[in-house]
Amino acid sequence: MTAPTATPTLTSTSTPTSTSTPVTVAATGPATGLADSAALRATVYGTPPRDIAPLPARVPLEQIDIALPWARPVPAVFWFDRRLRVWFSPQDKPAPLAIVISGTGSGGNTADLGLLRAALYGAGYHVLTLPSPTFPGFIVAASSTGVAGDLLQDSRDLYAAIRQILAHLPHRVRITDIDILGYSLGGANAAVVKSIAATDGALRIHRAVMINPPVSLFASIDRIDQLFAQSIGSGDEGIERLYAKLYARLANVYRTPEQIAIGDSEVLAAATTVLRTDQEFEAAIALNFRIALINVFFAGDLYAGTGVVVDPQHPPRVGDSLEEITRALRSRPFAEYFSRVFAPYYLAHRPGATLQSLRADNRLDIIGAQLAGNPDYYAQTNSDDLILSAPELAWLQSTLGSRLAVYHHGGHLGNLGDRQQIADMLEMLAGHWDRAP
Amino acid sequence: MRAARLAGSGATATLAATATLAATVALAATLCGCALENPSIRRLPDQTPAADNAAAIQRADERAAAQAKQAAQSANVPADAVTPLTPADAPSMYSYDPWARLNRSIYRFNARFDEAIFLPVADTYDRLPSPLRHGVRNFFLNLSEPDSALNYLLQWRPVSGLRSVGRFVVNTTLGIGGLFDVATHLQLANPLTGFSVTLARWGMHPGPYLVIPLLGPSTLRDGVGQLADYGVAYGINLADLYRGDQSWALGTLNAVNQRASNDFRYYSSGSPFEYETIRFLYVHRELIEDAALHAKSPPRVRDPRQPAGE
Repeated sequence: MTAPTATPTLTSTSTPTSTSTPVTVAATGPATGLADSAALRATVYGTPPRDIAPLPARVPLEQIDIALPWARPVPAVFWFDRRLRVWFSPQDKPAPLAIVISGTGSGGNTADLGLLRAALYGAGYHVLTLPSPTFPGFIVAASSTGVAGDLLQDSRDLYAAIRQILAHLPHRVRITDIDILGYSLGGANAAVVKSIAATDGALRIHRAVMINPPVSLFASIDRIDQLFAQSIGSGDEGIERLYAKLYARLANVYRTPEQIAIGDSEVLAAATTVLRTDQEFEAAIALNFRIALINVFFAGDLYAGTGVVVDPQHPPRVGDSLEEITRALRSRPFAEYFSRVFAPYYLAHRPGATLQSLRADNRLDIIGAQLAGNPDYYAQTNSDDLILSAPELAWLQSTLGSRLAVYHHGGHLGNLGDRQQIADMLEMLAGHWDRAP
Repeated sequence: MRAARLAGSGATATLAATATLAATVALAATLCGCALENPSIRRLPDQTPAADNAAAIQRADERAAAQAKQAAQSANVPADAVTPLTPADAPSMYSYDPWARLNRSIYRFNARFDEAIFLPVADTYDRLPSPLRHGVRNFFLNLSEPDSALNYLLQWRPVSGLRSVGRFVVNTTLGIGGLFDVATHLQLANPLTGFSVTLARWGMHPGPYLVIPLLGPSTLRDGVGQLADYGVAYGINLADLYRGDQSWALGTLNAVNQRASNDFRYYSSGSPFEYETIRFLYVHRELIEDAALHAKSPPRVRDPRQPAGE
């Protein structure tokens, strides 16, 4: 790990050709504890619709399902994930391609991806959106290990999948250049994919933009596990207590005369409106992440045959109840996935690996030299992003220099899609962005 | 001549049989999850991000107005205000699902049917001009107004029932058979209701979770309610729409219209736990709505399984 500095040198390595609004750089990390109140709220609510960047009226969309030759045998319970599903928005003229990778546990057509897709398409890009390598659909259809969470291995799988997809795009699609971006874990994946492509030479990826990336994957996850422990507790009872509290509160809201019936897809959105304290916002964020982890844990345990919650001799069949497994997994932190599934698998399959090396390999440092020396890597983050510690933020600043935009407020992805973030992102992709001194 | 006609009809029959067989094989292969081409590329309806964001702004404004109104009301709470629920009143996190195995099979079937048939058709339908789709949607919603009026009466909400009757008359006449929702423009808006809400108002518990073929997640009460709604429509049989020769075509058009206006996609979560998640969300949304209904209008008939006095 490169030693972080508190006051990073902000040396410009790209030529400023734009008059983009200056972005204030903050040198410190989260204001209080793991995150301050505003950061927690921004993380849960996201960008207010009024602050969203101008978007085009129409964006064409194609759904591509592709079977990948290296995919492992599909376990019965994952029968619906046989093929990798990605989404493509083609321009009707030659254009650069923007490949966008989703965040932890998310698919290739999330609301956040929809925003980025629209902004990029409006700016003239073909847009290809992909799930995170930690999304169950990717783990089953595209992972070469089935054990997700290794930054380098996951990014290799992503790179291979991207090559296959591009080889199968219709001939009418004419691509003039390729850029890659991603948010959260997808941001780190995007940067590593670009570096793999540079080494491999088969695909030329021009620029990479990381949006709210982690610096150390495992440290970020540890922080979210900490959020879970301090806001919900360590056992299943904490989840039941939180449920009972939110149920009563939501029901009381809907018991007032002014309220109408809840729409089919609005239960979760409605639940966020009754959160009040910082602890409840922390719980919502931690629970959201834990749900993603349940899938990763289950798939990893199944593929690695580690037997933590899935009996390797009698894996669940189609139609079996998964109730008990869900209950068993929801109170298990990432640390347990690491120690009981991830580490045993990689220690057995990666000669010379140690627990320390597995942790170290999951830091952006693995491509630190490229990030520091290649002017085509960019990043955007927030000074109050709860997945970053102050030293990690400083590491990003010292490594990327003026190719990093740090916004004062937004928590984790809480300003994705806002005018400034989108404008800066497009400038970065065009190679024009530079922080005004 | 007769022999030629017979031969011709035989060829036609063979052709039809072959086409049917091919279609059946293709359908069976798709329903079984077998890929027919790799990769498969499916054109989806265009996204409309600018309009979607404008709608989100409008929803946010409405929510803010509702919250402000609520805050003003809570400052002056009447003496007979409903007692707020506490966490102790929350029902179990776990949903009652005695038919889980059957439900899971139907959920799986629905997912495959959706992927193979329903969604491709709905996506194609979605590319029709918007005024045409709105017309179809209004037409079918208008057909539900008589059932809605009846249920408002059964819920002892005569004013809302009369509004439903008014909407039906206005939209059927001025709205040209229901193609245009003139009533809403005349400030005669009124949400639709049905037997499942009536049963809920009467105090019936949602009962076991139920996945209905093609329709999806439900509960026993909702399933019975939907059946009763259909029974009323079939009984009234407006313009012979439900029993005439065209009833299948209209039923299919309505099904496609409803699927196209629903964003839910089976297994978009990619998760093997999706069944449990959807069940939790569906059942608990219904329980919250029940709690809301009973607060606004106390139930007249109690769930027979509940102990007296509860």
